[in-house]
Amino acid sequence: MVADLKTDVLVVGAGPAGSMTAKWAAKGGARVVMIEKRQEIGSPVRCGEGMSKDWLPEVGITPGKWINVEVEGARIFSPSEKIFEINEKHAGNEVGYVVERDGFDKALAIDAANAGVDIHLKTAAVEVRKEHGRVVGVRAKEFGETFEIRAPVTIGADGFESQVGRWAGLPTNIALRDMDTCLQYRMTGVDSDLRYCDFYLGKCAPGGYVWVFPKAEGLANVGIGVQVSQIKTTAEARIYLDRWIEKHPGYAKGKKIDMVGGGVSISPPLKQTVSDGFMLVGDAARMIDPLTGGGIANGCIAGKICGTVAAEAAQTGDTSKAFLDKYEKGWRARLEEKLYRNWLAKEKLTTLSDATFDKIIDALAGVRLEKLNVHNILKAVHEKYPEVTKEFEAFL
Amino acid sequence: MVRTGVGTLPSKKSLHIESSGQLCIYCGACVGICPLNCIYLDETRITFDEKVCTRCEICVKACPVGAIEIG
Repeated sequence: MVADLKTDVLVVGAGPAGSMTAKWAAKGGARVVMIEKRQEIGSPVRCGEGMSKDWLPEVGITPGKWINVEVEGARIFSPSEKIFEINEKHAGNEVGYVVERDGFDKALAIDAANAGVDIHLKTAAVEVRKEHGRVVGVRAKEFGETFEIRAPVTIGADGFESQVGRWAGLPTNIALRDMDTCLQYRMTGVDSDLRYCDFYLGKCAPGGYVWVFPKAEGLANVGIGVQVSQIKTTAEARIYLDRWIEKHPGYAKGKKIDMVGGGVSISPPLKQTVSDGFMLVGDAARMIDPLTGGGIANGCIAGKICGTVAAEAAQTGDTSKAFLDKYEKGWRARLEEKLYRNWLAKEKLTTLSDATFDKIIDALAGVRLEKLNVHNILKAVHEKYPEVTKEFEAFL
Repeated sequence: MVRTGVGTLPSKKSLHIESSGQLCIYCGACVGICPLNCIYLDETRITFDEKVCTRCEICVKACPVGAIEIG
């Protein structure tokens, strides 16, 4: 019989956003329990493993052994495989390091543990407990035994397939056009380039892209995301990815050693991420960048804010929605504008034809942009293909 | 919270999870997209609530490997 638990802050899910939240709550002086339904933090990996790096100091992450490759930049391939190269600083949420995600997640969990967080593995939340309309904890199952964890602040960090948020009463539903269905192989014996993360646009991956992220010499994550609203038959993500590999001899000769899949939200920011006694963070809060599909940076940045506010709330004894709104305001100030802007850009890009992609990348291919932003890109495109930029007038 | 229908969808076709795992990679894409929140993922088992499911087939589209069929 497992005894019921009481704590100040309960975090459900020990991914990057969960560990980051738990760590900063503990550093703020709160007693923190973090539960993880899997038996091993970080495994199995469900990630392309590309991430930017400029945000790491902001949240207190020290680069460690989890880095596989430090890339110089990204290459964007148009449908006819014209290339636009972007250096790492400008390339967005998925370019900088290619990481060993299981090692990364464990490193963050170790940071949390060192800060005093109590971690329970093989422990799933099975129900959110509410009293008088406010969240007071969860019913959890650890090694098959059900017990209750009570906390004045409960945090859902349970990833894309979050149920804790919905059980708590926050609307997290997304539209079909706001989700990518993804599949990735790790392949050995391929011609990937250690200097670049590669992205292939167009009908090879409707509404998404094919990515190649180098893990080591001849080893790479080769994956695809396809917008669910553009899926026509069953298993199409796999069909598209296999077709892409078949068409690329440098990859067709390789061998698959691993396969992962998953859903990625490419939605606008949620309207609400807090309620009385409850906060939602990371992929569970749909904080994934809708343009790149990258979720780690945003999850960690919001996690720090979330954990800090959770500790303050627990200590003042005010865990009402009104107090927790500090987190809501904090993450919005830091992330919302970009999330929304990138969602608008995604909405546009998912409608473009292969011919238009070719023109855009062709126009950019030879250009050195001082600063990579929508305005400069459109200016460069306008000089070569003025008819293309007509489609984008709304953006200017 | 009612959890029923382990392993098979209400209509004819089965959702090969627990019994075979030949198609399902337990990625959770179907869980995240289900508009009625009636699909549940434990580590190597997917269950759904037969009473709530309306066969909208959104999960069928979201599945990257074609492990869900509604017959």
